[in-house]
Amino acid sequence: MALVGNLRDFGLSDFLYLVDRGYKTGGLHLAYQHEMALLFFEQGKLLLAVRRPEDVQAALLVRLGVLTAEELNRARSGLAMSADGTTLTQVIVEEQLVPRERLQRALQAFTEEAVYGLFAWPEGEFRFEQNQRPAHDTPVIPMPISVDHLIMEGVRRIDEWGRIKDRIPSTDMVAHFLEQPREHLKGVKLSTTEWRLLARINDRDTLAELAQKTGMSDFEVCRIVYGFLTTGLVEVQRKPRPTSRGSQPAEPPKVKKSLVNRIIHRIKDM
Amino acid sequence: MQTVKMVVTGAVNAGKTEFIRSISDIEVVSTERRATDDTRMIKHETTVAMDFGRIAIADDLVLHLFGTPGQKRFDFMWEILSEGMLGLVILVDSTRPETFRETNRIIDFFVSFRETPFVIAANKQDRPNAWAPDELRLALRQPAHVKILPCVASDRASVKNILLELLYVIQENSEEA
Repeated sequence: MALVGNLRDFGLSDFLYLVDRGYKTGGLHLAYQHEMALLFFEQGKLLLAVRRPEDVQAALLVRLGVLTAEELNRARSGLAMSADGTTLTQVIVEEQLVPRERLQRALQAFTEEAVYGLFAWPEGEFRFEQNQRPAHDTPVIPMPISVDHLIMEGVRRIDEWGRIKDRIPSTDMVAHFLEQPREHLKGVKLSTTEWRLLARINDRDTLAELAQKTGMSDFEVCRIVYGFLTTGLVEVQRKPRPTSRGSQPAEPPKVKKSLVNRIIHRIKDM
Repeated sequence: MQTVKMVVTGAVNAGKTEFIRSISDIEVVSTERRATDDTRMIKHETTVAMDFGRIAIADDLVLHLFGTPGQKRFDFMWEILSEGMLGLVILVDSTRPETFRETNRIIDFFVSFRETPFVIAANKQDRPNAWAPDELRLALRQPAHVKILPCVASDRASVKNILLELLYVIQENSEEA
């Protein structure tokens, strides 16, 4: 079943997070005004992103200067003779028409640029077709890429509060490192400013206090922390409200198990 | 006579009224008015005060179900309703991603400061393009221990299941007699 929505309500960073954490495979179709985009994912990793329908065709490799027209014809012939399920990318790599690293670099750069441009869309309809895979002759990145650093880059391009406030409703919140940030987070590249803020996170200071200590604006701090949140590096929680005695809020009284059991039995009987 | 309370909340048009209507012993007391704000775009009649339903558990025990107003301007009601509640059902319209942010705001409000037992009911699972509970977990950024359950609020069996799942969460946090 397709997931549909609008980027205005559920942003691209959020969607990339969902695809990544859900290990989704499929095609994400995006449309905004007269523009389109198509992103293919395999097990949460990005295979290819295009902004023009014709770029899903093999001729993209010639346009990118990765292959000559003649080499592409050889690759196509090889594909035609290959077993079912073989992709054009596999043929190119196996027949050594171009070094794998070069193919990776070219398609990765092309894909990243395509995705970065999408973060500028203020809105856009999306439709995620689960398990939709690119055609066998569509060029795909040999080693599919993690979307984490794409998310960070996308977050860097956010220039309005709306989306950030979705997850960071106030600067009175405190950032905490997740106990087990995911292994592939080591692939995330942080800027100097981001490192400066990361180093200040101490489970005590609110975001407003971090802004004061680093000399950054509240917006800048929240935007960076939003990026950390989205990549799964930290979580944010409200600072506990001080009580009149200065202690943590009192826990509500516990309910009696016998009372709960009575309600359970009654509901079961309904 | 002892009364206990559960609260059913969620964004506008998440299905709160229908949820309570499906399980209540009595005709739901629903103070619906014609919507006068942007919710009119979503439905003609929306809850501007609250819904009230009741399940008689025994001669000496009654469960009250309160549906909270969905709009932001009724936030003050949430504080009042949440006092002393046994648990909370947070309904999400699984077909409308535009309400996920609002749902997060509601979760944040109810759950941030209290140890409130709650479950999230992924409503309208019978509709095409409904996001599955696993997808909602990622979209709402909820940890694995939070129950996100498929729900069809118009179906009594489905509503029963949600209440039972919530009661099991409450049971875990309850104390022996």
